[in-house]
Amino acid sequence: MSLPASTLRAVLRTPTNLRPLLLLQHRLGLQSSPRNPSSSTASYHSYDHPAPAPYPPAETAILSAALAHVPTTGFTRTALTTGLREAGYPEISLNLFPKGAFELVRYHLVTQRTQLNTRVQFPDHDSAAPISVGRKVRSLILARLRGNADAGVVGRWQEAVALMSLAENIPASLKELSLLADEMWFLAGDVSVDSSWYTKRASLAGVYAATELFQSTDQSTDFRDTEQFLDRRLEELRTVGGAVSGTIEWMGFQGGAMVNLLRSKGVRI
Amino acid sequence: MATSASHAVKRLRLTNAQNWVCRNCTRRTFTSSSILAQQPRPSNQPSGNNGDKTTHFGFETVAEGLKASRVGAVFSSVASNYDTMNDLMSLGIHRLWKDHFVRSLDPGVRHPATNPPQGQRILDIAGGTGDIAFRMLDHSTNINHDRQTSVLVSDINPDMLGEGKKRFAASPYHGTGRVDFLEANAENLDKVADSSIDLYTVAFGIRNFTHKDKALREAYRVLKPGGVFACLEFTPQLANPVLNALYKRWSFGAIPLIGQIVAADRDSYQYLVESIERFPSQYEFASMIRDAGFLIPGRTDADSENLEGGWEDLSMGIAAIHKGVKPL
Repeated sequence: MSLPASTLRAVLRTPTNLRPLLLLQHRLGLQSSPRNPSSSTASYHSYDHPAPAPYPPAETAILSAALAHVPTTGFTRTALTTGLREAGYPEISLNLFPKGAFELVRYHLVTQRTQLNTRVQFPDHDSAAPISVGRKVRSLILARLRGNADAGVVGRWQEAVALMSLAENIPASLKELSLLADEMWFLAGDVSVDSSWYTKRASLAGVYAATELFQSTDQSTDFRDTEQFLDRRLEELRTVGGAVSGTIEWMGFQGGAMVNLLRSKGVRI
Repeated sequence: MATSASHAVKRLRLTNAQNWVCRNCTRRTFTSSSILAQQPRPSNQPSGNNGDKTTHFGFETVAEGLKASRVGAVFSSVASNYDTMNDLMSLGIHRLWKDHFVRSLDPGVRHPATNPPQGQRILDIAGGTGDIAFRMLDHSTNINHDRQTSVLVSDINPDMLGEGKKRFAASPYHGTGRVDFLEANAENLDKVADSSIDLYTVAFGIRNFTHKDKALREAYRVLKPGGVFACLEFTPQLANPVLNALYKRWSFGAIPLIGQIVAADRDSYQYLVESIERFPSQYEFASMIRDAGFLIPGRTDADSENLEGGWEDLSMGIAAIHKGVKPL
């Protein structure tokens, strides 16, 4: 009897004496309700359930076949049509992708983002030499950029940027960028719950977008120039971030001192 | 809900159309009385001899067996000045919608896989006057350089088909074998073989069908795997309430009036706006297409319950384009 991976995981997590019940349930088909929680979109992250597939199966088959042709034909309709034909669909099925070639760009972005956690594995917190969050973010960015190189789209990335900067595609592109920044901070183990949650994501998104653009014109071996470019940007971020937080702290002290001064003069504040 | 709607209709109409007879205009008296004479009033015999099931005909409830003939009567009476009326009612925007519809479908084979190249077979349901068929052929010929793609124009109404035949006879496509006509009910396309059609389109027609789900299943049957179902149709509600109020003023106030003045047929155009009101919303219709077995394009996650983005709104949502792709 074959079980899907999610069911198998649920079975293994159940106490031994209750397992036959779960298996029975599976055999009766009770688990295949259309709205089971693992298949619907959740706004929270679950450690126990695998994330739902980003695209429906038919679209995944076509887009992954088409993405293999991007290094030769670019992010174009031609690549999509070739992918369609390889997946066995006629040309009219191009209607499955109302955004055309941009859907190919987004497919690349989404799959690379969801695969990021398999590309980079950090040792657990209680290891001897814990890695700082900054180092983790740096290696995550480099891992994501290596994803572009592995997919062979670096030489074609400027086409993708052109598509992403079209007015109708800007919201979807920015959303994908923010999701990527969020994913990176999550994987780096950041748990901040103050306003730095926003500034961290915004600055990382900016750095990442700049580095990716630099990578598209990088001619050096193993993208060494990109790596140095990234290090300079992160260094700037540290400097600017330090200056900003220093300024805010200074303004806070000055404000407090002013209030105290006024109070000492008898103003009721 | 139903009572308030009927109140609104009474308020927006100049008079009650059922009793309305224009003393100055004999033409209108002929057309409308001939329609009225053919059909028993549903209020007198709501079920009649045509079975007990009822459906809606505009805001009226009629027996299912009667709807097709009453829709037929409406379109027979509007066939001759159908295109003029469309221009007046939509202020010419229906042309833009149809152009966009065809352009987004992109009919015709741009990269032929076979030699000699094989064109697509398009079935245009409710395409009587050939508006969509002309655009399909123009697009595939001029944009995709595909001279093989052919259109089968199907309509339940011989008068509308007659208009289309007349127009095609005066066009360069006459005699090329790229256009065929078929008089058929979209709920029962016996003459079209299984898995024989690449593209099934229905523009401003599906709201007149008695059983929309049956028509969708029939579309699924005739389409090839990977074939596309595409539908251009009005929507019952605009998302913006202010614009919606303005739009309803226009459709219930102006359109029957224009019909009365230009086509001398108020009842038919009253039916047109009422049938728009009774059509399912975009979400409901997208669910119906999905339930018929189609893949809904444009969805960004695998969750089958989330259909947002599965259709395209036109002109702030007055009309919408729905598509479905038959899976392999």
